[in-house]
Amino acid sequence: MRTLKNVFRKKIRALLTIFGIVIGVFSLVVMGAMAEKMTLLVGGGTKFYKDKITITAGDYSSIMTSPLSIEKLDQLRKVEGVKEVSGGVTMILDKELSSVQMGVPAMIEGNDGKGRELDRKDFPMIMAKGRELRDDDIGKAVVGIDLVKKLNADIGKKIKVRDKEFEVVGIRDKTFTIPDTTVRIPFAESQKMFVETLPEVLRANIDPSKVITGATVYAADGVNADDLAKKIESSVKGIKATGPKKFQEQVTSAVAIFNAIIFGIAMISLLVGGLSVINTMTMSISERTREIGIRKAIGASNNKIIKQFLAESAMIGLIGGSIGLFLGWVFVTIANAAGNESGTALFLITPRLAIGSVAFAAFLGIISGLIPAWHAARMNPVQALRYE
Amino acid sequence: METIIKAKNISKKYKIGKNNFVEALKGVSVEIKKGEMVAIMGPSGSGKSTLMHILGCLDRPDEGEVYIDGKRVDNLKNKEINEIRSKRLGFIFQGFNLIPTLLAIENVSLAAEYAGAPKMKSKKLSEKVLEKVGLKDRMRHKPSELSGGQQQRVAIARSLINSPVVILGDEPTGDLDTVSSDEIIQMMRQINKETGTTFVLVTHNPEVAKVCDRTINMRDGKIVS
Ligand SMILES: Nc1ncnc2c1ncn2[C@@H]1O[C@H](COP(=O)(O)OP(=O)(O)O)[C@@H](O)[C@H]1O
Ligand SMILES: [Mg+2]
Repeated sequence: MRTLKNVFRKKIRALLTIFGIVIGVFSLVVMGAMAEKMTLLVGGGTKFYKDKITITAGDYSSIMTSPLSIEKLDQLRKVEGVKEVSGGVTMILDKELSSVQMGVPAMIEGNDGKGRELDRKDFPMIMAKGRELRDDDIGKAVVGIDLVKKLNADIGKKIKVRDKEFEVVGIRDKTFTIPDTTVRIPFAESQKMFVETLPEVLRANIDPSKVITGATVYAADGVNADDLAKKIESSVKGIKATGPKKFQEQVTSAVAIFNAIIFGIAMISLLVGGLSVINTMTMSISERTREIGIRKAIGASNNKIIKQFLAESAMIGLIGGSIGLFLGWVFVTIANAAGNESGTALFLITPRLAIGSVAFAAFLGIISGLIPAWHAARMNPVQALRYE
Repeated sequence: METIIKAKNISKKYKIGKNNFVEALKGVSVEIKKGEMVAIMGPSGSGKSTLMHILGCLDRPDEGEVYIDGKRVDNLKNKEINEIRSKRLGFIFQGFNLIPTLLAIENVSLAAEYAGAPKMKSKKLSEKVLEKVGLKDRMRHKPSELSGGQQQRVAIARSLINSPVVILGDEPTGDLDTVSSDEIIQMMRQINKETGTTFVLVTHNPEVAKVCDRTINMRDGKIVS
């Protein structure tokens, strides 16, 4: 209570200092929420792909998804050490990718279902509503939970996927991974849809039922998936096989850079906040020199004085941190709600982020108060009492 | 009678320029007996405050020795000096030196808390002592809401709270009108008689000197009589 009173002795100054911390923690929370979301997505991905090999067309270009012949699946199956191969189509949901798109774009997916049983063992697909897609479904779709708003989806309702109508039969529960932003449609229909995206010259002599965009290879028990990927690349022509190690390397390095930038920005703003705490505490202590003299004269030990001022600077950090967290949470909630309309929830405030950022702000307050408090404690009581 | 404070040949210099010093005390020796009430008088700048600060362990002498209750204190570590200041000594100042943001009772109980008493106990004790100095109904006021005499009574209560052996005052009546001043003087004398607490009072006020057992006169950093 006394600490709180002391902090707000000079109200405007205290508020400005707290504001400095608020901005720092706010940016830490917002940026951190983005990083947390990213980490979770990638974590889910690397876990999913830990014993699988991703197959894409060899002349893979980043601009356009290249088609792959379905015959490759049989070739892949023949490679020693392969347990199962599942072919499928994945493509971006929006016809034209908006340039301001951040995070993971919403996807359309269809597959032959060969890997379903193997997948479900480790990653059960839990439905929030309705049911999973069946092989005999036609014109039906299952929607990831983050796309419900964007597609205006509900069980039994019709949604439009690239201008084609589908009836929603299921909505998937949240996984915090890619499936959240994926619409699943029957395999044959996804193949047709994909072929329509190809240039007209190509389209004419392609049979949609023979086309896929990629495949997932499941390694047999006891077979090293990375070694298998190498073997596949050398024995099946015209494809690229990415093993779990390479997959992890690719995503983690991208995420590491992203996270480094994000935390860099947040740390700089917190540093500025910390400097303003140092400034405030130094000023407050020089204004209260006489008070420090009195306290020492009536028996306050150096430790007591240090504790008093550290409590004050920690309080500034704690208040600033809590407000910053609250504002960050408000911002993230609004931004995610807005993002939901377009199917991209960018942020995730995890408990560790929330607790960590407030604790860090309090810690920052203590660190910033250390030098001023130490100065205060070392004052000679007589000199301090003479101070006007 | 027992000696409570003894100073042997103490000197204190203050640096005021590059090669410029003021000799505030030039080899002062005093001895104060337990239960005595002593006035220290002398012209401005004669070193009274400096002497009081050194006797009260607020400052250290450059040379000489200080003993409190037979224990040498001028060479003690900060921590031990603190302990002595907190538990064995009390202070009263000219400008009252209360903490402006704390209530009267908080000002008093702070001294008890610094001496190690728990919060609740400190509050209880403070109420008692404040009642004793006649401020029962002004306890929950800030210093700015009290008259000078009342503020000085809060300061007396604060100096008394840890039952010190010596209370040192630096011009305790300096900022008071004659009525309040007389009240404070009588109060100190009464406490001295009732509890046997030793008082060392730096003063310009002859009324203070009058009630004291004896007067130490200073001039130019030395005791003259
Ligand atoms: N902190 C200080 N720095 C420099 N000079 C000081 C300091 N304190 C006291 N003095 C000087 O020492 C002398 C004695 O001062 P002081 O003990 O306050 O005298 P008194 O209390 O009798 O007026 C004076 O000349 C004063 O100016
Ligand atoms: Mg003086």
